[in-house]
Amino acid sequence: MAGRGVGTWLREGVWEIPLRRYLALLVTAAVLAGLVVGVRVVLHDDRSCAPGVARPEGSDECVGVATTAFDFGHPQLRDTVQAIARENARLKPGSYVTVAVMLPYTSTATANLADIEHELQGAYLAQYQANHDSNGQSPVIRLVLANPGATSQYWQRMVTQLAGMTGGTDRLRAVAGVGQSTDNNKKAVKELTRLGIPVVGSSITADDLANGQGGKDPYPGLARVSPTNTDEARALASFAKVSAGRALLVYDKPGDPYTRTLQTSFAALIKGSPYEPQPFTPPADRSQEGTTANTFRQITNLVCDTSRTTDTILFAGRHTQLRQFINALGGRGCQDRRFTVLTGDEGSYLTGEKKLDRSALGHNLSVRYTALAHPDAWGTGSPRTGGSAADMATLTGLLKSAEKAPVGPIGTVALEDGQLIIAYDAMRLAVHGIREAVPEGKSVPALADVGLQWPQVKGSLRVDGASGWICLDAHGNPYDKAVPIVELRAEGGSRFVRIAWPEGKPPSGECLPPS
Amino acid sequence: MHRRLHGRGALFDVEPAGLVPRLVGLRPYQHRALPFEHPGELPFVVLTGARGLGKSAVLAELRDAYKGHTPVALVDCADEQFAAPPPERPAASWSPLAQALLVVAEQLAEPVTGAGRITFPRLMSGLVAVAAGGWGDADSERIRREVERILLLNESGSWISGFAGRWAGKVAAKVVAAATGTGPLVSGAIEATLESIAEGFSSRRHQKASVWYRTYPNAGGHAQRGLILLSGHFRAGGTSREHAERYLVRALLADLTEAYAGVLPRMQRLGRPLVLADNVQTGPGPGLVEAVLRDRAEGIADQVAFVAGLRGDGRELLRGGSRRELAGVARRSEWTPDPAVPSSRALLVALPPLTPDDTLHLVAAPAAPQLPHAVHRLTGGNPLGIALLAEAAAQHPERAGSLGGLLTADVQPVEDGPAAPAYLRLLDRLVPADRLDELTVLAAAHDHDSACALAAALLPDDFGPADVRALQNRLAREGLPAVPGQFVGDPFVRTLLLLRLHLRDADHSGWRTAHETLIAYYTEDRPDGQARFRLHHQLALGQSGPAVAHLRDGFPVLDTRSWLHTLRFIASAPYFHAHDAEGRDFTGQGDRRAAVALGRTDAQQRVPGGVDGVLHLRIRRLLHAVWLLTDPLVLPDPKVGDRLRFELEQLSNLRPAGNALLWRASRDWPAAALAGRPPADPEDDDERDEGDDERSGVA
Repeated sequence: MAGRGVGTWLREGVWEIPLRRYLALLVTAAVLAGLVVGVRVVLHDDRSCAPGVARPEGSDECVGVATTAFDFGHPQLRDTVQAIARENARLKPGSYVTVAVMLPYTSTATANLADIEHELQGAYLAQYQANHDSNGQSPVIRLVLANPGATSQYWQRMVTQLAGMTGGTDRLRAVAGVGQSTDNNKKAVKELTRLGIPVVGSSITADDLANGQGGKDPYPGLARVSPTNTDEARALASFAKVSAGRALLVYDKPGDPYTRTLQTSFAALIKGSPYEPQPFTPPADRSQEGTTANTFRQITNLVCDTSRTTDTILFAGRHTQLRQFINALGGRGCQDRRFTVLTGDEGSYLTGEKKLDRSALGHNLSVRYTALAHPDAWGTGSPRTGGSAADMATLTGLLKSAEKAPVGPIGTVALEDGQLIIAYDAMRLAVHGIREAVPEGKSVPALADVGLQWPQVKGSLRVDGASGWICLDAHGNPYDKAVPIVELRAEGGSRFVRIAWPEGKPPSGECLPPS
Repeated sequence: MHRRLHGRGALFDVEPAGLVPRLVGLRPYQHRALPFEHPGELPFVVLTGARGLGKSAVLAELRDAYKGHTPVALVDCADEQFAAPPPERPAASWSPLAQALLVVAEQLAEPVTGAGRITFPRLMSGLVAVAAGGWGDADSERIRREVERILLLNESGSWISGFAGRWAGKVAAKVVAAATGTGPLVSGAIEATLESIAEGFSSRRHQKASVWYRTYPNAGGHAQRGLILLSGHFRAGGTSREHAERYLVRALLADLTEAYAGVLPRMQRLGRPLVLADNVQTGPGPGLVEAVLRDRAEGIADQVAFVAGLRGDGRELLRGGSRRELAGVARRSEWTPDPAVPSSRALLVALPPLTPDDTLHLVAAPAAPQLPHAVHRLTGGNPLGIALLAEAAAQHPERAGSLGGLLTADVQPVEDGPAAPAYLRLLDRLVPADRLDELTVLAAAHDHDSACALAAALLPDDFGPADVRALQNRLAREGLPAVPGQFVGDPFVRTLLLLRLHLRDADHSGWRTAHETLIAYYTEDRPDGQARFRLHHQLALGQSGPAVAHLRDGFPVLDTRSWLHTLRFIASAPYFHAHDAEGRDFTGQGDRRAAVALGRTDAQQRVPGGVDGVLHLRIRRLLHAVWLLTDPLVLPDPKVGDRLRFELEQLSNLRPAGNALLWRASRDWPAAALAGRPPADPEDDDERDEGDDERSGVA
């Protein structure tokens, strides 16, 4: 039997004998399966970042809903997401409902990132407070981080994921945050609310990302914590006594929902102004520098050309463009003339902005804006209604305990930009809605019932937010919400000026919006 | 491929499968399955034939072909170990069949590709019980030796072999203790064996085996009692022993069946086990064959492929067996047993002689291209003869020109051993060794009476006519053809025997005496038809004169056909040694027949007075030409062939009546001689008559 090759051996020594054949087939199948798995592991472009979070094709952004301690590549978020994960891990499945904090976590702009960190901190503090300091009210709250991408480009993906989390043990009952009033976010909110998921906007101020505009409710189940741009503009007007002859409007063209509503509100205030409103066109991603700096230099010349009675510039634009404008004004020809730039809550981004030419603020230029909230807003001189220092003190107490375990650490905290406060309030409003919707004898509310609670948040059912009372009108918009007017300081940071009211005065004690 | 056997493709072929591959279900030399021809019950194949037709070679080849692929055992029933019990063993506890079963099981137990050893717990118990019957006065050492060999049948050889080895030692000790102690001997040993089987192995298989003897007749459901009865029956001898032996065979087959039963064995083992038994006409053979066939006839089925070799045609042992020619079973055996006849479950396949083509392949002699044909003519296709002559031609290429030279040449065996002349080595294998001397003498005889005459003259007195007849019967039983006109029917064997007779005495005195005795026996006053016998022997002694005279005188008067017969018969006389002109043995080598046939000696020849001188010389040349050309020991000479044709042509001119026959013989005989065929009959096929006798007798 010389010359028996491997082939013969395989044929006669293995294949012909059924036992060996089947064993060999099993081994071969196992080896092949191992190879396939191995090759797939080696070749597979692993696009997942963490459970629930993955990179879409053609993108490096980690998009989706993070249910674990995933910091989206930003170390500064790490402490907070870990604190949230700790708190989430403590909860027993079945006892909690989930609230997603929707923010553009993968944004790379420093200012945005600081905002995100602060909002997340606020949301976490509200979660902690809801789960620990509310007399064992149920259900307890689990936080997850929903990221639609830096420009919310992947909102659809995120919404699909969120919609899938309404059942099961996740029981998503609300989405809080949302971030800026961009078109993508508008679509996301539209889709979320269409799917019946209640949304609580924290820092959105655009008029058209709200219900009740023109008598329509395009976002059923949307509640907002911040006043609309219109309300902010009204508050600004009531504060600054702006009149048509003394103000010039500079606006973003074509703008986004935020800038457009601000522009519209400003335009209404200075109706009949002798000066034509000055447009500028920023890049699509408004956190990018673009070429608008040149435009602003030209506008600065126009500003100096106005009559000397003109001392107010109304700016309807985003913070990057605001910074460029301020820097341009710092180099204006008419340094002797005093100007006040009034703008919306985007001004708050500049409190820590490194690229801002702060010397400009010393040359007869003050920048005042409507903050969403401010830590100094409530003190001894505050009105008796519309908010209280005590509500703010609760938050500062929480912040103090969050400096160390078990609550913290949650990273460095900054209150001046108001993001932490407003996110905390938004989260509290969400928790309030969820818990109010719990039927008698049950511990978990139906998804549809949460959004129905918003019109009831008024009177004694109002939420005493750290930023002021939150009383919602029939469309889920805050009624006569306190609007802190803040001024940028030349030496950095901001200075609280005073509270302004959209209605011109604080709300009554009952805090009931007029029907 | 591994075709070492020629002309046996019907047994070994792979595509399409031959008989044995179809029965075993495996390709020979390969571990590849084939579909079974008889998936239910399979025939007990018996290869029949005379000595030297290659039965043993086929069986050995089958063993090599399947060894390591399926359990295979080869026993030669004529082996010495089956002839008598070992010296110290009493005959009451030993039988050839029991010994054969032990040997078969030992070989079958060997592991094969894909599966481990086979254990034989049933056969082991039975053999221990049988052996125990002879331990009455045995010493413990002998008992231990006997029992340990039997116990090895239960050796599984697996990873627990260490454990099993301990088990065998333990059981042996127990059995020895029981056998040498007080108390009933047999039952003690049996009890110890059974207990050990039941104890040592807890598997379902072994438990099943330990209770197998429950079904022994009258055992009453007790395996131990069954074994004691078996032992008793065996000792009793006669038909009781046959009964016990049948049970032992059944135990072997049951163990084999068990080894193939179950999911795991079926996934490990291919084909069927193969048991090869040679010479089943003797020793344990008949008992084994009968036991298997009877069990199969009674519905106790097994799946063991048996192939046996049987000398003779098996008419005595297997009267009802289905008979087939080898070529007939090449593709399908078309065998169906007759339920009423146990022996019909045997399939007797006669092994035919090899064909000239096979001979051509076996005998490679580039120096003598005519040698293969001549070898085939001499041996008649006998495989043993062909193989040995081929071997002789390989060892002595200088003698390849003469078959006589090859037959007398010393041939060194392939395996170690003393060299011996080829014809003696062939006779060792082709005729019964105990009657070789008698046959050597009687080979010259033509019938019973002439044999008796030879025996009276040349053989001892105690070899009488009855012994002659017994020897004749024995030859027939062994499958040698019985041919009228010849005492030894097979031409090849007869040639070898006569060669031995010729060479037995240095002065060829025995040879001469034998022929002279027969010449005297066939006296001239006998009927004319028997004159040819006398002339045949006279020619063998070199006296061509009477033959020439007889043929010359008969040519004008005799019927042409019978004249030709007579010519051929006379010319078939053996010519082992050169003769001188007077027919005396000539000391030198050489063959004067050619010279005579070619007319070179005509000048010296004195034509008797009163006869036709031309015819006389022509007949003389013709006789020598036929003598030379039909001599199987001589390579045909084409010149003599031409001369033969010429002489026959001339004769045909002289006899208008027999013209056609003579003319055809002038064409056919030289051609047949050159082709290595016996000369064909000059008649048409439809005119055949009693002349067949003589034709067959011509070697």
